[in-house]
Amino acid sequence: MSDMPSNSCIRAMVVWWNRMRVMTIKEYLQLYRDRILIVFMVYAFTLEVFLAGSGVSMQLHNAALRVHDSDHSFASRELIHRFRPPHFRIDGEVLNHGESIDLLDRGEAMVVLDIPPQFQESLLNGDTTSVQMQIDTSNPVLGFLATSYGSQIVGQYGLEAAMKREGMSLNELATPIINEEHRVWYNANQNDAWFMSVVEMLNVITMFAILLPASAMAREKERGTVEQLMVSPLTTFQMMFPKVLAMTTVILVGTLITIHLILQPFFGVPFRGSLTLFMAVTALYVFTTAGIGMLLATIARNLAQVGMLTALIFIPMVFLSGVWTPPENMPSVLRAVSAIAPLHHYIDASLGIMLKGAGIDILWDSILAIALFAVAIYGLSMGYFRRQLG
Amino acid sequence: MNVHRVAATASKEWREIVRDRLFLALTFLVPTSLMLVVGYGLSLDVEDIPLAIVDRDGTNLSREYAHRFIDSRYFDFKGYALDRHALPLLLADNKVRAAIIIPENFQKELMAGRPIVVQTLIDGTLPSRAQTTKGYVLAMNTAFTSEMLAMFISKKRGIPLGQAARSLRPVKFEARYLYNQSMRSDWALAPRLIMVILMMTPPFYTALGIVREKERGSIYNIYSSTVSRFEFLVGKLIPYVGISSANAVILWLIATQLFGAPFKGSLLFFIPATLLYIICTTGLGLVVSVMVRTQVAAMVVTFIVTVIPSMLYSGVIVPISSLSETAQVTAHALPAMYYTNIIVGAFMKGVGLRELWPDVLVLAIYATVLLTLGYRMFHKRPST
Amino acid sequence: MDEAAMVNASQGLGVTTVESQEFTNATLESADSKPVAQVSKFRKTYGRTVAVDGIDLEIQRGEIYGLIGPDGAGKSSLMKAVAGVLTYDSGTLDVFGVRVDSEQSSEAIKDRIGLMPQGLGLNLYADLSIEENVDFFGQIRLIPKGVLQERKDRLLGMTRLDKFRDRPMKNLSGGMKQKLGLVCCLVHHPQLVILDEPTTGVDPVSRRDFWSILAQLLREEQITALVSTAYMDEATRFHHAALLFDGKVLARGEPDEIAALVPGRIVQAKAEPQAKAFALVKETFPQSEAVGPWLRVFVDDADDEQATTAVTSSMEEFRPQEIHVAEPDLEDVFIALLRRRGLTDDDHSASLVGNADSVSDGDGLAIEANNLVRAFGSFKAVDGVSFEVKPGEIFGLLGANGAGKTTVIKMLTGLLPPTAGTGRVAGADMRRAGQAIKERIGYMSQAFSLYQDLTVVENIRLYAGIYGLSRRMTRDRTDWIIDMAGLAGRGSDLSGSLPMGLRQRLAIGCALVHSPQVLFLDEPTSGVDPIGRRRLWDIIFDLSRNSGVAVMVTTHYMSESEHCDHIAMMYAGRVFADASPSELKTSLREESGQLLEVTTDKPLAALDVLQSGGFDGVSLFGKRIHLLAPDPSKAEQQVRAALGKKDVGVLSVSEQPLTMEDVFVNRVLALEKADEGKQ
Repeated sequence: MSDMPSNSCIRAMVVWWNRMRVMTIKEYLQLYRDRILIVFMVYAFTLEVFLAGSGVSMQLHNAALRVHDSDHSFASRELIHRFRPPHFRIDGEVLNHGESIDLLDRGEAMVVLDIPPQFQESLLNGDTTSVQMQIDTSNPVLGFLATSYGSQIVGQYGLEAAMKREGMSLNELATPIINEEHRVWYNANQNDAWFMSVVEMLNVITMFAILLPASAMAREKERGTVEQLMVSPLTTFQMMFPKVLAMTTVILVGTLITIHLILQPFFGVPFRGSLTLFMAVTALYVFTTAGIGMLLATIARNLAQVGMLTALIFIPMVFLSGVWTPPENMPSVLRAVSAIAPLHHYIDASLGIMLKGAGIDILWDSILAIALFAVAIYGLSMGYFRRQLG
Repeated sequence: MNVHRVAATASKEWREIVRDRLFLALTFLVPTSLMLVVGYGLSLDVEDIPLAIVDRDGTNLSREYAHRFIDSRYFDFKGYALDRHALPLLLADNKVRAAIIIPENFQKELMAGRPIVVQTLIDGTLPSRAQTTKGYVLAMNTAFTSEMLAMFISKKRGIPLGQAARSLRPVKFEARYLYNQSMRSDWALAPRLIMVILMMTPPFYTALGIVREKERGSIYNIYSSTVSRFEFLVGKLIPYVGISSANAVILWLIATQLFGAPFKGSLLFFIPATLLYIICTTGLGLVVSVMVRTQVAAMVVTFIVTVIPSMLYSGVIVPISSLSETAQVTAHALPAMYYTNIIVGAFMKGVGLRELWPDVLVLAIYATVLLTLGYRMFHKRPST
Repeated sequence: MDEAAMVNASQGLGVTTVESQEFTNATLESADSKPVAQVSKFRKTYGRTVAVDGIDLEIQRGEIYGLIGPDGAGKSSLMKAVAGVLTYDSGTLDVFGVRVDSEQSSEAIKDRIGLMPQGLGLNLYADLSIEENVDFFGQIRLIPKGVLQERKDRLLGMTRLDKFRDRPMKNLSGGMKQKLGLVCCLVHHPQLVILDEPTTGVDPVSRRDFWSILAQLLREEQITALVSTAYMDEATRFHHAALLFDGKVLARGEPDEIAALVPGRIVQAKAEPQAKAFALVKETFPQSEAVGPWLRVFVDDADDEQATTAVTSSMEEFRPQEIHVAEPDLEDVFIALLRRRGLTDDDHSASLVGNADSVSDGDGLAIEANNLVRAFGSFKAVDGVSFEVKPGEIFGLLGANGAGKTTVIKMLTGLLPPTAGTGRVAGADMRRAGQAIKERIGYMSQAFSLYQDLTVVENIRLYAGIYGLSRRMTRDRTDWIIDMAGLAGRGSDLSGSLPMGLRQRLAIGCALVHSPQVLFLDEPTSGVDPIGRRRLWDIIFDLSRNSGVAVMVTTHYMSESEHCDHIAMMYAGRVFADASPSELKTSLREESGQLLEVTTDKPLAALDVLQSGGFDGVSLFGKRIHLLAPDPSKAEQQVRAALGKKDVGVLSVSEQPLTMEDVFVNRVLALEKADEGKQ
């Protein structure tokens, strides 16, 4: 008789475990049956990341440059030739101002370099002359980069010319100049592919983490199967958690595929930290983000609404993750939001682990922030779910 | 094509949309809030770079040099670090993104007219920001160097400092900014966001609208009636094109009024071009919807074919010219880029059909191909 | 009460004799003209599954052609193909003389076709109002505005939906949805309407209403109809019918001809103790069932006398106390036909043997509703409902669509909070019940609520896991459910690909997987074929009698409600009667008299005569007419006289025991009448 309580306790645990197991298997099966969805998941975790990594660079590459050279001297040609790839690409000369404006309007030229008459003469006489650059700044980042490279080239050219006139050389030991020695850490060659492919992978993870559990839940509501579950002895947790669990594992598998089949072989993205830690953080993040999806699914009445709500949450999350704009450059309200948003902390942690080799000693605060968010979001959505169906 | 049947289908669809209040609200709320949140929040200007300085010289000149960085709006000075061994941790933890190490004898060497090496550490995880940071540091150093040189020359030649400085800059550099004189990124961004949002939302509405009817079974009313495929699809798409057009107007107003982006072009050109673009993206939704069976799949596929391309291959964040060759091919294969050209042309450059007709033509071809494809793939007599 | 008006209401609209005769004539005349649809060697497969396997059919102008047959026989596939909305593999299909073999050619017939696909209201637009739905169907058919208005007024008037024009479709009751579906598919004056199980899930009163409206419209507008149904009694409305089984035609012809394929009689006998008598009868007559206190036996190839003798002698020492003989229903014939051809796996022999009649008097009540109220806004869906169900009892909740049955079940199972009152299951309020209580109840909701993208076995395993069954138990129960639901060999089919009836049986199986002590079944047999329904009731009966399970069930098959120990009848959110079936019948008999069954050679014409002849409770049951009379012999004379005057040949007039359908139809119509009187 004395072992009765422990027996029933064991039985309860077995039953509990069984419930979680069958509910999770159910989610896997349902996912497995949606072939188009699987095809696109595979696409997203492989080709999509590959395309992003191989295609995109945020640097000024081969900016189309036209020259309006009114001097046609040795000096002007020397200056022009300093505008070289990778930043600039000289596409030829223009004859007058009208033509250059036309080319800029059509977007066929980005920069027009205007060298005045008597450029060489002024230079030799020690007079001040000026060079003008017309820059298409409709994209301010590029405009800024073009301006800064242009001014650098022209400044350096002028300085060298002046020094030459002074009979000095910049290479001499006897000039008080600052020689800069910069080291770019973690990504010494500033390889955009590393950054873009990793960020893209994180975006894909985020998208599926919100969408899959949300739509799984919304589908149960729309089809009425949720009633069957409500009447059964399942707890709210047992109804929600297996969905999250199943989707999380699927996404983790996708992540491993991306890392091993795309990031490393194609782009040589280094993995300086611990893969285990990265996967653990990813699991936590996906779990957390799935909570957002669950909350959306409890708010929405049908799948269409889930889709719209997902768009409402996901797109700002991606744009404002801190990758494109660091939080310090955002308005204070958005900065606060971004400080809470789990994607921001996740990206910090992921890049930290992958590129910087950071460990838990450094990343504990990001991880904690994600975990706190998880607690809040699950508390909210479980409460809401109970209230709604109860 | 019979107008009445089209009108009947369209008005039925419209009523269904209107009755689902939350959905209707979201069709307007999503574009508007995306515009506001992303428009205010996304800034590609690189400013306030968190910076640490190690000053191993500790002299007046080194402090003056350091203050060039500390006072700059481009950097956000986080404090002096005691020695360089403290830096790796700061960088790894994202506490700082750049660090300057001023060597010993900084003042002594420079005053003696000898060069000195200053080390800069930059976090390269975000390459474009690293690039810009490098540019800033370089500009600071160049400016400081030319001051040093001017002082050196004026002392050596006995000429006034001003003259010496002038003689070191024989070529003045003038930059003329076209189209966005103040280089405001929100002016540049807001119009482009119209493109992004109109890329993502119309296919979403459309795909969900059609797949919903398939999933529910009411599509049999269409199958079994005399409505032609073409009439049905046109009627079905009209309300969504309408909603998206209304959104385009709202977005245009936000961009010009709230963000103050200049609109230099002609609305007579811009409105039809935008409508064409909306038809294009709606057509994309149509193709997705005939391909998939479930609403879940419709959502995922739409997200994948719209959100990511419109971010990466449209020129909103990454300029097309910065794309690799394969990516440029991708960009050219998608409608987003052409509409970006139209947006930039109409907003900032004030140009019209004369310059942008190739883009308009491509969009027109695109719309035709998508609608034809959707039409071909939609059957009123399926096999299951 | 105005009797004539009430009788009128029972048939929707008064139908005059002249019209019905014209109808019959028109059918005969058009028989020699070209068929509306001609199907030959028609074959349709889905992947490896053969849905229709070489069918030949001819549908004549002006007739109602019926398709009957068990679930998965291929009815829906055939109907969709005829409507030109489904491709087929081989054979030929001509509709209105057009060879329908491509998307293009199928377009040519669609202006003359109206299709109402399976599933109550699924093809309508939930958020649109009645009027908007009709308008949409009219507008896409290019009906001119004036004509549409006129047509709409007429159809909505006939279906009595005109009072609710602005009500969104989603807020309509099942009967109204189905009538709206009919209006929508008739709005463009089609020449052929294709109705796939239009009456599934609809209560008996609404079903009668539906058929009389349909019959009137078809007659007046010379429309041909291709209809399938799960209610065999409705097959008597067909001019021609084809019995489909497993993708093939098993029998075809006029309903009478089909019925004549299996000559025999139905004997209803009452004997004590029922279980013992039943066991004996079942030995001799495999097609027998226990219905309430009655034993219902199909006797092959016998006349009245032979049948009575055969049944009586089969009972040995348990002499029947009362015995009636009747013509078999088409449902009986259907089952007999399959049985004779060896197509039923009738291994569910006398499951009632043993302690069958002992309702275990467990401690306390299994289900208890105490003044339950549920309001949606100002509308009270359920208004003060109370009842009690003891363990081992089968409790039926009957009522028209929209009477509030489902709402009551949802409140009891904890899915919906009551506005007032309490509901207790196994002594606990389900809204706060712990897992232990929830493990003891089973629930099957009205909508098919299994996972369509899981296979049969996966669904069963899922629920087995949820209810904490051990591995061995899971295996046993899986086998049991597959056997019970007749799903052998389909275990790995996706449940979404199963025909409606099989899905429904699977759903019941899943609700039973954990052998619950309290079982809620909300229209479990909706859309299930007769064989499946019988099997299911065998199981329910067995559970209640042998395992003491309390079962609460709603159904639109009144014959099923005879199985219930007691029944609560609901109308407009209130329970107006709560008693055993025999008590309900007795009280009706005391109020309105005996049941007379009249068979004639012209049932529709006879119906009109009797309805306008001042008889009480006149309604059509299959091809027979029922009426209530306090003095049967006097009434018989009156009936014969009235029919004789109109040249209707009377085949028989006999006294029969009242059925639950008589009770339901009479009671509900009386209440509707009273309601209309109030307004």
